[in-house]
Amino acid sequence: MHRIARTLLLAFLLVAAIAPGLRAEEPLRELIDALGQAKLSDMDEHIAALAKTGDPKVVPVLEALGEGNLYARKADGQVFLTKESGSTLSLTDPVSGESVGEAPKAALSKVKVNNGVRRAVRSALGSLTLLSPDRDARLKAAQSVLQSPNAEALGAIEDALAAEKDGEVRALLEQARATTLIISDRPVEEKRQAVRLLKENGGREALSILSAALNAADDSLKPDIEAAVASIEQSQALWAAGQNVWYGLSLGSVLLLAAIGLAITFGVMGIINMAHGEMVMLGAYTTFLVQEVIRDSLPGLFDWSLAIALPLAFLVTGTVGLAMERGVIRFLYGRPLETLLATWGISLILQQAVRTIFGPTNREVGNPSWMSGAFELGGLTVTWNRLWIILFALAVFAALLFLLKKTPMGLQMRAVTQNRRMASSMGIRTPWVDALTFALGSGIAGMAGVALSQIDNVSPNLGQGYIIDSFMVVVFGGVGNLWGTLVGAFSLGILNKFLEPYAGAVLGKILVLVLIILFIQKRPRGLFALKGRAVEA
Amino acid sequence: MTIRARVTGAFLAAVLSTTAFNGAFAADDTIKVGILHSLSGTMAISETTLKDAMLMLIEEQNKKGGLLGKKLEAVVVDPASDWPLFAEKARELISVNKVSAVFGCWTSVSRKSVLPVFEELNSILFYPVQYEGEESQRNVFYTGAAPNQQAIPAVDYLMENEEVERWVLAGTDYVYPRTTNKILEAYLISKGVKPEDIMINYTPFGHSDWQTIVSDIKKFGSAGKKTAVVSTINGDANVPFYKELANQGIKAEDIPVVAFSVGEEELAGLDTGPLVGHLAAWNYFQSVDNPANAEFIKTWKAYTKNDKRVTNDPMEAHYIGFNMWLKAVEKAGTTDTDAVLDAMVGISVPNLSGGYSTMMPNHHITKPVLIGEIQADGQFETVWETPGLVVGDEWSDYLPDSKDLISDWRAPMSCGNFNVSTGKCGGKGS
Amino acid sequence: MITSFLVKSLDRTILIAAALLLALAVLVPALNLLTAPDHPLHVPTYLVSLFGKYLTYALLALALDLVWGFCGILSLGHAAFFALGGYAMGMYLMRQIGARGSYGNPLLPDFMVFLNWKELPWFWYGFDMFWFAALMVVVVPGLIAFVFGWFAFRSRVNGVYLSIITQAMTYALLLAFFRNDMGFGGNNGLTDFKDILGFNIQADGTRAALFAASALALALSLVVTSGIVRSKFGKVLVALRDAESRTRFLGYRVEHMKLFAFTVSAMMAGVAGALYVPQVGIINPGEFEPGNSIEVVIWTAVGGRGTLIGPIIGAILVNGGKSIFTAAFPEFWLFALGGLFVLVTLFLPKGVVGTAQQYLARRKAHRAAERQDGESDKEQGATAPEAMAAE
Repeated sequence: MHRIARTLLLAFLLVAAIAPGLRAEEPLRELIDALGQAKLSDMDEHIAALAKTGDPKVVPVLEALGEGNLYARKADGQVFLTKESGSTLSLTDPVSGESVGEAPKAALSKVKVNNGVRRAVRSALGSLTLLSPDRDARLKAAQSVLQSPNAEALGAIEDALAAEKDGEVRALLEQARATTLIISDRPVEEKRQAVRLLKENGGREALSILSAALNAADDSLKPDIEAAVASIEQSQALWAAGQNVWYGLSLGSVLLLAAIGLAITFGVMGIINMAHGEMVMLGAYTTFLVQEVIRDSLPGLFDWSLAIALPLAFLVTGTVGLAMERGVIRFLYGRPLETLLATWGISLILQQAVRTIFGPTNREVGNPSWMSGAFELGGLTVTWNRLWIILFALAVFAALLFLLKKTPMGLQMRAVTQNRRMASSMGIRTPWVDALTFALGSGIAGMAGVALSQIDNVSPNLGQGYIIDSFMVVVFGGVGNLWGTLVGAFSLGILNKFLEPYAGAVLGKILVLVLIILFIQKRPRGLFALKGRAVEA
Repeated sequence: MTIRARVTGAFLAAVLSTTAFNGAFAADDTIKVGILHSLSGTMAISETTLKDAMLMLIEEQNKKGGLLGKKLEAVVVDPASDWPLFAEKARELISVNKVSAVFGCWTSVSRKSVLPVFEELNSILFYPVQYEGEESQRNVFYTGAAPNQQAIPAVDYLMENEEVERWVLAGTDYVYPRTTNKILEAYLISKGVKPEDIMINYTPFGHSDWQTIVSDIKKFGSAGKKTAVVSTINGDANVPFYKELANQGIKAEDIPVVAFSVGEEELAGLDTGPLVGHLAAWNYFQSVDNPANAEFIKTWKAYTKNDKRVTNDPMEAHYIGFNMWLKAVEKAGTTDTDAVLDAMVGISVPNLSGGYSTMMPNHHITKPVLIGEIQADGQFETVWETPGLVVGDEWSDYLPDSKDLISDWRAPMSCGNFNVSTGKCGGKGS
Repeated sequence: MITSFLVKSLDRTILIAAALLLALAVLVPALNLLTAPDHPLHVPTYLVSLFGKYLTYALLALALDLVWGFCGILSLGHAAFFALGGYAMGMYLMRQIGARGSYGNPLLPDFMVFLNWKELPWFWYGFDMFWFAALMVVVVPGLIAFVFGWFAFRSRVNGVYLSIITQAMTYALLLAFFRNDMGFGGNNGLTDFKDILGFNIQADGTRAALFAASALALALSLVVTSGIVRSKFGKVLVALRDAESRTRFLGYRVEHMKLFAFTVSAMMAGVAGALYVPQVGIINPGEFEPGNSIEVVIWTAVGGRGTLIGPIIGAILVNGGKSIFTAAFPEFWLFALGGLFVLVTLFLPKGVVGTAQQYLARRKAHRAAERQDGESDKEQGATAPEAMAAE
């Protein structure tokens, strides 16, 4: 008995002696380990408790939690930060920050997260990193407190605001302060100022916050909020028209890209090229292959993948086009309607070939970082990928125009299509010019495929979705006229986008088709009709 | 003329010889299983996988010794996403190839197209895809989810866990989204959601320009109430939809999207990094952790010789349906349609989500409902699960004309649309 | 006058083909119904409805050949007329279901019931009567073709422009019929038919009768089109196909003639669609798919454009091939089909029948030349497809 009591006493004394050193660490470890056991519904409280410690060690833990990299060891429930390497995970102790070796995935279980947890992590991280020395971290923190306003963080925001020097971060913090203030229990006068600030800044987020605040607001504040909401809504409505033009331009650029190759093979050469869509598809698959190789061996080059894919796609589809022309189409000149049948057959073969080689399912083509996300331009939301596609479409158009109008090659192409016999007697090798023209049209379709892979499915059916629209654009613009294709694509795009909000997506499209039919009655040769004898030939 | 006659003659001979050829095979000592999935055309993207899954299941069963002492033989045809061709091929499978059961179809219209054929020639169809309900046919077993096994639990989850008050019901304009959204609308209103807090939007098949709609969703979501999107957008249109969502910066934490037609296979064509947290409701996820599923995934990867191939819910439905059929045939001791139909009801087999699924008298099965969030690796993580199994409800309780109908194919009633208020079997017979 | 029309239209080939079709119309149903299933000459029901389907396709191809082969209008929207005829028939069949639908609603089809429609849309009125539906089968496609053609031909839209706007038409119709709000059942279309004119649609007898009706319709259309193209009017059609401006300058009202041919052709396509629907048991907007119209063009081209027998042969050949290949090589049949189209355009530019005719004509001419020098020119000039070489 006596001995046991003495041992216990000794143990107690020992613990008491070490305790001050442990005190800072152990509760933190306990709090972190508790994450591993918590139910999804209690996670909020655990995260709040962690955040309350204010310990900088919490930041990587919460970040790992949000990204799904926090795992609990099945054996003892200890929680680690992890990094995936093959089938094992390399573990980092969250408290000491030291690496503690690797463990197979099966020995660990992931700490589950859902949207609610991610929201809590975002707001906790926001207030924790508001005072970080790193500007980008502060900027991110300011954004996250703005996105998930939490009345308790108001003090932290105001502290941060007092210390902040950077203009951009300050502006965000001001906004964050205003949004948080509205939902806090501050005096009405301060809230009124906040409403004014939000009204001046405008934007959809402000609208959302204000309308949410309206129900809970003090009666004396309500008129202010209502006025602010009305004013923001009004400016939004104005911007909406501009946004529609932008959407229309963007849709138009997609149509232009899809149609521009066809403007050569169909418009200039007169081949009803039903396999045009498949050329676009082959271009998209080339992009997929390029990205696949880059992912496997040169991950650093991913942002360049599209730049690498462009010339490759041009070559691949250009070669396929060349083979098609030499193998089939050259026997069919002067029989345009029969090119329809042969190219339809070729399109079936190409589709099935791709399906056999790559499988029938969608393939993943990623957006490089410079094509992801969006930015705000006044009240407009401009997505980067759409912007690049518009620029790219215009660049392709300009290059093609230059090629046709200013180079000897272009001169020969035009000569051959306008008067084959005359061109031939002038010493132009017409068969080769035909072949190269068709290859050019196909190659451009392939380049379009690279761009379209960024916004659409990469599947064997990709081309089918564009073929009809492409023909409509070329015919609407006027066969044989590149400018017609440009104007046709953009006007159809914008028309479609202005009809869509009123008529809905389906009816809008039907109306556009009916308008095309009626338009062709009025101008049977399209927008920019070719004149002269060539027309009747 | 002579040539014409000769050509016709040759052609007739060809048709007849294939018939004879197939006839010769029927006499062989195998049990034939028909696989009716599109291998070309727009639906090939989804259906080809199911054909492969069926071939794998049949191969595995043959390794275990087949069925009733005979080997199973798969008969694959390509209905090419062409609905009338589905009917023609179904007829061919049943009357020319003499298959004992058919596993197939994806779209509702393909099922509707083959229904009369199965009824007329009295054969069995296993239909593996989630669908709009409002149907129960004697010759069909529905192994996919009915709306109450997918849509309603998903909405419940969002209401309870995400406190969603405002709803966008976005779908492709065809019968599954239309019906599901009708049901959901009625359900939401019954839960006290105001009609102005529900936005319904339909787009055509293969819609690829989502800019306007995504921005409308953003606008609808900025009314100060928590908003969610319930998406019944069909296969092909999903990739551009999600790409647009990601680019316009709609995060799952702000406006979550819950989808009923997006599974592992669809996500394989996407960079899911920006989509983490968007949801899907299914009865099975590849990420479900249990030995049966691990085994299934291993066999599948080995069969397709591709380590990156994923599994999905309709594949699991075929797995369940196929095993149920095996069990029913063994129980009946014959592949005779009527005997198997009788034996099917009540059959219970393990599913891949770690429990058992049972064939109910309405020819629908019991399933757990899982809600999963998209992860960066293209998989789903289960964040919620129904405590027990949910019985497929063929006639929705939330549609005024179907709430009185029930289906029971067991002996005395034998009716697919029994009206409990009039006590009569709706359209049965004549 | 009618007799002279008949006599003129019945050249030997057409006569034989029509007789053959009539024989089929009697023989196939007889062999199907009257022989025992194990009899060597028994035709299984499966083949009856399969060939019934081919015959309606053949009729559609024949309709296209009238405008494309003889009038130079390449319609890439003919499947739209086929589908419209099919929908008219489908609506009749839907109304025949009556209270036997799932919900037992005597008036509304099932798809309207579960989408909460309260009353029948006005355009469904009258379709419970067969005569009305039968009328609509020809009136609706005919009217649309008439209005469309009236505008298009008057504005002198021709060549690829015309082809593309016919494609736009069928595409617009496709999108419209996909819309559930239109009241045509959306993507699911019309299905689950029970009976036609009181006969069970799934009975062998009904199928045999539908087959016979298809064969009869095809034979009749063959005679009629043959009459049209062999008349003086038909000669002018061919003239305007080969040189539209010249024909106009000669004083013919080219647009009226085109309009007539286009409308008649659309009506024939409508009849084909109406016969197609009860045999396959479903009509849905997929039939409006622009690809389907292109396929019709291909059947016609494979068989031989500008010959009346060609499109029939082509439709049966291509579709028969499709039926066989999709079962025999489900994964590779598209290669075979695609390859067929390429090879036919390259090596049989006049199609199967056109090439055969050419070969026969040449042999005949050769023989004639042996017998009697100098007469062969006339022989060749008389063969219709020869004129196509000028294109």
